[in-house]
Amino acid sequence: MRQQSFVRRFFTLYLPLTLILLFILFPFYWIFLTSIKPETELYGAVTYITKNITFENYKKLFATTVNFFAAMKNSFIAAGLTTIVSLTASTLAAYAFSRYRFKGRRFLMAMFLSNNMFPTVLLLIPLYSIMRNLHILYTPWALVLAYTTFTLPFSVWLLNGFMNDLPMSLEEAALVDGCNRRQAFMRIVLPILGPSLVATGVYIFMTSWNEYTFAVMFTNNSSRTIPVALKSLIGQLGVDWGLLTAGGIITIIPVCIMFFFAQKRLVEGLTAGAVKG
Amino acid sequence: MRNIKLTGTIIALAASAAFGTCAFADIEPCTINYVYWADNTDYSALMQDIIAKFNAENEYGIEVVGEEIPWDGGGYSNTLFNTAMGGADIDVATLKLTATPMFVNNDLLADLVPFVDAWEDKDVISENLYNIMKEAGGSEDAMYLMPWNTQILYVYYRPSVFEEAGIEVPTTYDELLAAIEKCTIDRDGDGKADVYGWGMRGAAGGQEPWGSFIHARGGDWDDLTTPEAVAGMQDFIDIYQKGFCPPTATNDGFQEIIANFKSGLTAMTVHHIGSSKGMVEELGEDVGAFIFPAGEGQWTSMGDTENVMFESCENKEAAFEWIKYLAAYDGQVMWCEGTGNIPVSTEVQQTEYFQSDPFMVVSFGGVDVAGILPIKDETTEWISNWPATISQALVGDISAEECMQILNDGLNP
Amino acid sequence: MNRKKSIYPYLLVAPAVLIILCVVFVPVFNAVRMSFQHYDLRKPKEIAFIGLENYVSLFQDKLFWKSLIKTVLWVVFGVGFQFVFGFILAVLLNQEFKGRGVIRAVSLIPWVTPGVLIGLMWRWMYDGNYGVVNDILHKLHLINDNIAFLANPKTAFPAVIITIIWQGIPFFALMILAALQGIPYELYEAAEIDGATRLQRLFRITIPSIKNTILITLLLRIIWVANSVDVIFNMTEGGPAYATQTLSVYVFNKANVLNLGYSSAMAIMLAILLCSVAIPYLIFTFRGEDK
Repeated sequence: MRQQSFVRRFFTLYLPLTLILLFILFPFYWIFLTSIKPETELYGAVTYITKNITFENYKKLFATTVNFFAAMKNSFIAAGLTTIVSLTASTLAAYAFSRYRFKGRRFLMAMFLSNNMFPTVLLLIPLYSIMRNLHILYTPWALVLAYTTFTLPFSVWLLNGFMNDLPMSLEEAALVDGCNRRQAFMRIVLPILGPSLVATGVYIFMTSWNEYTFAVMFTNNSSRTIPVALKSLIGQLGVDWGLLTAGGIITIIPVCIMFFFAQKRLVEGLTAGAVKG
Repeated sequence: MRNIKLTGTIIALAASAAFGTCAFADIEPCTINYVYWADNTDYSALMQDIIAKFNAENEYGIEVVGEEIPWDGGGYSNTLFNTAMGGADIDVATLKLTATPMFVNNDLLADLVPFVDAWEDKDVISENLYNIMKEAGGSEDAMYLMPWNTQILYVYYRPSVFEEAGIEVPTTYDELLAAIEKCTIDRDGDGKADVYGWGMRGAAGGQEPWGSFIHARGGDWDDLTTPEAVAGMQDFIDIYQKGFCPPTATNDGFQEIIANFKSGLTAMTVHHIGSSKGMVEELGEDVGAFIFPAGEGQWTSMGDTENVMFESCENKEAAFEWIKYLAAYDGQVMWCEGTGNIPVSTEVQQTEYFQSDPFMVVSFGGVDVAGILPIKDETTEWISNWPATISQALVGDISAEECMQILNDGLNP
Repeated sequence: MNRKKSIYPYLLVAPAVLIILCVVFVPVFNAVRMSFQHYDLRKPKEIAFIGLENYVSLFQDKLFWKSLIKTVLWVVFGVGFQFVFGFILAVLLNQEFKGRGVIRAVSLIPWVTPGVLIGLMWRWMYDGNYGVVNDILHKLHLINDNIAFLANPKTAFPAVIITIIWQGIPFFALMILAALQGIPYELYEAAEIDGATRLQRLFRITIPSIKNTILITLLLRIIWVANSVDVIFNMTEGGPAYATQTLSVYVFNKANVLNLGYSSAMAIMLAILLCSVAIPYLIFTFRGEDK
């Protein structure tokens, strides 16, 4: 059974994988190609590779008023802090929802679910006042608070779903062995939950990373994030395609590298659980 | 050469400023928070230079802190509005006329009349322009906007295509319609046009060139359902349905019409001086301009950018120093020379720099027929509905009459 | 399962609940109130309580119904295909092969791409004159004339749906991939001994084991996609001829012109629509717990 024939593997793995990847990666390739094409090549006959490779846009990106380094730093701070805060709060809440039965539980769960049903565009003015009254405007904390609020409901429900899918037997065994709940949580649940935490963490990170509306209102020149920096490349006089796509590539690559290391946890979680099981 | 002229202007203006009486001599050193957008990174750098120059040279120790918000297809005004309603500390901001009513109606803006009255150089800006500002604010006495720069829409054309089609620059509306048809050329004889006569803007912002068609037939904004206005609409539909413009027109915005013109797909399109630099870079000598010609009537759209002062501003005199710096002095010169926009200061307009630019000269020629959309509470909503309504008519879902009825209901309820 | 009365669970949910209450309670309450008011910030002096008037005019608004239908199609096709492709991708990425780590990382790209860029890039690729999609179709001899994808009311909506599908695949792939890790290996071994085929294993083991994750990710994604605005807005702004105007885009457009009362009423209708999906899910979940 282990030794599959190549033909079989081709049809069950390589072919479908290639097709999906082609769909997923082609626009990315197109972004990259646009970033190294001279602008004159954009209009006219479509070219799939370019002979006139130029990295001018990348150089320009760090030399112009769009302070891309600072924007990346700000984005990493805001998204990173949000991930920590939101993931911690949601893991605790999800654990309570999944493993305890208490009064008001269902109400709270329903409340979490309905939180994100309302379009944020209607909440902007009061939200701005709240941030101002808390004196956190223009600091990363305004974004962290806003993003935490809007990622918490999803994260809580996601983790609750993951936890409900996990077999309960391990924890029960630990409890029988004399661990208290906190020990069981730290030693058994968290390690098995590894992959789910990574997945949820990625969700939180991406959502904060890509957010524009709050970012443009709650930050100033010194705390601008990447989506705002990118948007400032689109004025009334059109899109600066070269800079925009170069900025996009520079945004995408570090996150992908980060995820490359994070995804290893997706496997480790499994082995950690299996060993203890 | 240019530097000498620039310095000359500055000296002249500085001298006139120095002679003026200081009506508000008690300006204390303070900080002015200024919000603006920049259409590209060069403009952004330019604005930062202007701010730095003002901060270094103004005699009162005023420090302007610039805060840039992306234009975001007009989302700028909403972002500014939401933050202002939420209580942000903004003193001065750049704004457009169409966005004014929402700010004025919520009492966010300060009346500039007392400041302008006390300003010794107020006459460098024409009375007519001040009146437009007052009108936009919905009041005859109060003025909430200070002019900064304008753009006049005109028609860009390709002389080489005109030559190929054997036509001259149209001087009447009928000639223009004929030119649009003649410039739609099928070069390789495959039954498909290789050049389209008209680069139509059917997506956001298209109401401005479209307005010229309506007025050319004798229509006007007050009633869009008149037979004249409907006839103008029908001309517009015909251009699309007869294939004199690219079939993509219903979703073509600024980006697309400029790209199509530069690549040679269209022979004419409407935009203002802001894109002339790029056109010349791309096409060299093979680009010209003329004002949308007259038929029964004539109208072209004036683009505008103004500065406003917020009611919540605590140092209004200081804020006005900055506003007038942009409207008449070094700020005006630097910004308009750097961006190619039309200065509002008549003194700056007269400098040779502006008189020697052919596109600027065409723009000046359109000043008399240039106008703006009526600024009403409904205007922003009407503008945002315009593309969807128009595209229904272009693709034939509704007739010209129905389309104009919908548009009229939106603008003149 | 701990059914003892204890303060512990309350302490655990407290941080999350506090954050949410402190930030969104007031704004959401405010929005609900606005839906019963004539609340147009262009005319702030005319703000007044008008009861259900917004809702009444909404039911007579043809555009509202059109947008509602668009929303349903948008969600059904958008989320549906995101899920199918995401599930397939997750199962594929769960197999062992060389370079899996790199492939997993790059599969996430659509999700990492900033929303600003997604809309503009796809708009550019769909362009009727210089777009690569037209060029590819030409080279494959599928079309003779360029298609103005986003300018034609018939093709614009499918075109934006394809974009949202593209954007959403990684979310499902990642979540399902994570859930797959929790399936005990012994289950598969046992099935193999029983001689179950691949398909049988998929439907008898894989899907039931990650049922909770599948349902919740579907539900969360439905809510998210139904509320998403930026892809459509950056590509078509809801046009041409309202062909791509979903309810959330309509809400966004109305809110941008400051008719917040009407906009809120529509947003509440959208929330009710979403509840019609969420409530059965909640009943199903809670009933499952009682067993």
